[in-house]
Amino acid sequence: MRPRVAVLTIIALLLATGASMANPGGEGDADRDYTCGGSCHGDPALSSPSDGTVTVSVNPLAFSGTATAVHVTASGMSLSGNRLLGVFLLGSANGNDDHPEDHGWNILQDPNGGTRNYVEVVVPPSGSVTLTWVMLAPVQPGIQTLLTEIHHGSSPNSNNWAYSALTRGYVVDVQPVPENLPGFAFDWSPETRVTGDDSPTVIRTRNTTSVSVQWMLEDEWVPHNAEVTGEDDEWHAMLPATIGDIRIQYQVTTSNGDFSIVQPWLTVATEPAAFDGEIWGARIQALAFGLLIIAFLLSLQARLSPWEGRQDPDHTEEVEATESPPEEPPGLEPADDYWSRMVPSEENPGWLWDPVEEEWVADPNNPPEGGE
Amino acid sequence: MFGAATFHAAMAEVVVGSMMLATLCAMGCAIATIFPNIAGGRLSSDRVMVTMDKASIAGALLGLMFMPIAALSGSFAADNVVNNALLYNKFVYTGLAFGFWASFVIGRVRLGPGVWQHRSLSALQGATAAMAMLMTTMASSIGGKLVRGESLFDIMPIWLPSDSATVLNPIFSAVLLLVGIAALVVVFRLGPRAERIPLD
Repeated sequence: MRPRVAVLTIIALLLATGASMANPGGEGDADRDYTCGGSCHGDPALSSPSDGTVTVSVNPLAFSGTATAVHVTASGMSLSGNRLLGVFLLGSANGNDDHPEDHGWNILQDPNGGTRNYVEVVVPPSGSVTLTWVMLAPVQPGIQTLLTEIHHGSSPNSNNWAYSALTRGYVVDVQPVPENLPGFAFDWSPETRVTGDDSPTVIRTRNTTSVSVQWMLEDEWVPHNAEVTGEDDEWHAMLPATIGDIRIQYQVTTSNGDFSIVQPWLTVATEPAAFDGEIWGARIQALAFGLLIIAFLLSLQARLSPWEGRQDPDHTEEVEATESPPEEPPGLEPADDYWSRMVPSEENPGWLWDPVEEEWVADPNNPPEGGE
Repeated sequence: MFGAATFHAAMAEVVVGSMMLATLCAMGCAIATIFPNIAGGRLSSDRVMVTMDKASIAGALLGLMFMPIAALSGSFAADNVVNNALLYNKFVYTGLAFGFWASFVIGRVRLGPGVWQHRSLSALQGATAAMAMLMTTMASSIGGKLVRGESLFDIMPIWLPSDSATVLNPIFSAVLLLVGIAALVVVFRLGPRAERIPLD
C-alpha cells in the first residue's frame, strides 16, 4: 500500500511540474531579435502557431527623421493564467539584427513608456489589446519593412506548447524630409518621470518656432491644452503629475510658419520612486537580524537545557508536607498517642498496625528489611 | 566560464536541497520525541533517531557552508546593486535563514544528540529548523520571482511580505549589528553554560 502511495505522490509531483513551462511569468521588456534569437517559442519541437489575430496599422509613407506611429492590435489568442502577451516590433525575421534600430529606426517610445522593441502586457478580459510604438523614421530614405510577432501561452496547455505568430512585412516608404519640416530632435526621447513629479516635461525639436501640447488621461476623449514655454527648439510643457496607475497621453504640434505637424500621441512614462535601499545597508541589516536571532535562540536553548550550577527549585516544604504523619483525629494528643496506639505484629516484623487509620506503618525503632 | 547567475543557481540548489533534508530529519526527531508512539514507535526507535539526527546536522552544516557562497554569488549576479524591494528582502531573508540555521547547528553541537531526549529542547530545535527552512525558501523563491516572474509560493497559502521592504537606516542597522554581537558575547561569556546532555 505504502509504495503505491509513494509512487502516486511522485507521479503527481512530476505532473505538477509539467504544468509549468518556458517563462510563464515573462522575461520583461527588452531589446530582442525574432523569437529572442531562438527560444521555446521559436523551437519547432516546443512551439505551436498562435490562434490569435494580429493587425498592424502604420502609415505607408514617412519622412526621414520624423515621428511615425505603429499600432499593433492582437486579439482572439488563447492565454495562460496570467494573461501575459509578449509583442515584438521587428525590422526583419532572421534571428539576429532584427531590432528596428538595426534598420535605422529610432524608438521614441514603446507601449509601456520605454524604448524597447519587445514589450509584455497583460491582456484585458476583452481579449484584445492595441499597442503603439512611436518611432523616428530612418535618416536614409528607402523602402523599409516592419513586422510584429506575438508570444503567449495557453490555459490549459496539456502539450506545453509555446505559442507564437509572425505577421507579414508592412512596407514603409521613407521619403526625404521636406526642407524646413518641423519635428522632434533626432536625439530626443520622452523623459521618464517619477510618480507624483509635476516638473515641466522637456521637448526638444528642430526647425520649430512654436509648440503646442495637448494632454488627456488614457480613457478621456477630450484633450486639454498644456502651458508651454521655451524657445530655440527647447520647450517646457506643464503636464500634471501621474499618480498610481493613471496614464497621461500628450500630443505635440510643431510649427514654424511654413508647416504645422501634429506628432503622434505619446505617453507620460512613469516609474515608481527610486528604491532607497542600498546593498551594504541590506547586508548589515541581514547580518544584524541573523545575529539577534542567534543570540535569542541560544539563550533560549540555555534556559531550557539542564546546566551545571542551575539552582533547582526548592520543594522542601512540599516534600515535608507530604511526608509528615497524618493529622490526629480530634481528642488525641498528637505525639504521644500516635505511637502509643500502634500495635506490634509478630507476623510482620518491622511493621506496626494503626487501628485508627487502619493501615500498616513502618516501625522507626525496628525498620522492616529491604527498606520497604 | 559561466555567469555569476548560473553559479548562484547551482549554489542555491545545494543550500536548499541539503537544508530540506536537515529540516525533514529535524522535524522527524522533534515529532518522535514529543509523540513517541507515533508510527507504532518506529520513528522514535534508536536506529531511526540516530540516523535522522546525523542527517539533520550534516544537512544543516553543508547548507551553512554553502550559504555564504550562494549569497555572494547572488550579490554578484545582481551586479552588487539593490534596486528593488524584492532584492532587498532576499538579503534580509538570507540573514534570517542564516541566524536560524546557525542557532540550530550551534544548539545541536553544544547540547549533543541528547537534545532530542528533552521535549522542550526538541520542540525548540524542530521549530528552529522549520523557521530556518521557511526563511530559506522565501529567499530562494524571491530569486524565482526575480528571474522567472513566478515562484512555487504563488500556489501555496504561505507568502511572507516581499513586495515591500522595511529599509532600515544603515546606521541603525550597524547599531543593531553591535547589539547582536554584544548579545552573543553575553550569551557565550556571561550566560549559563549549556552543557552536553548525556544520553540515557
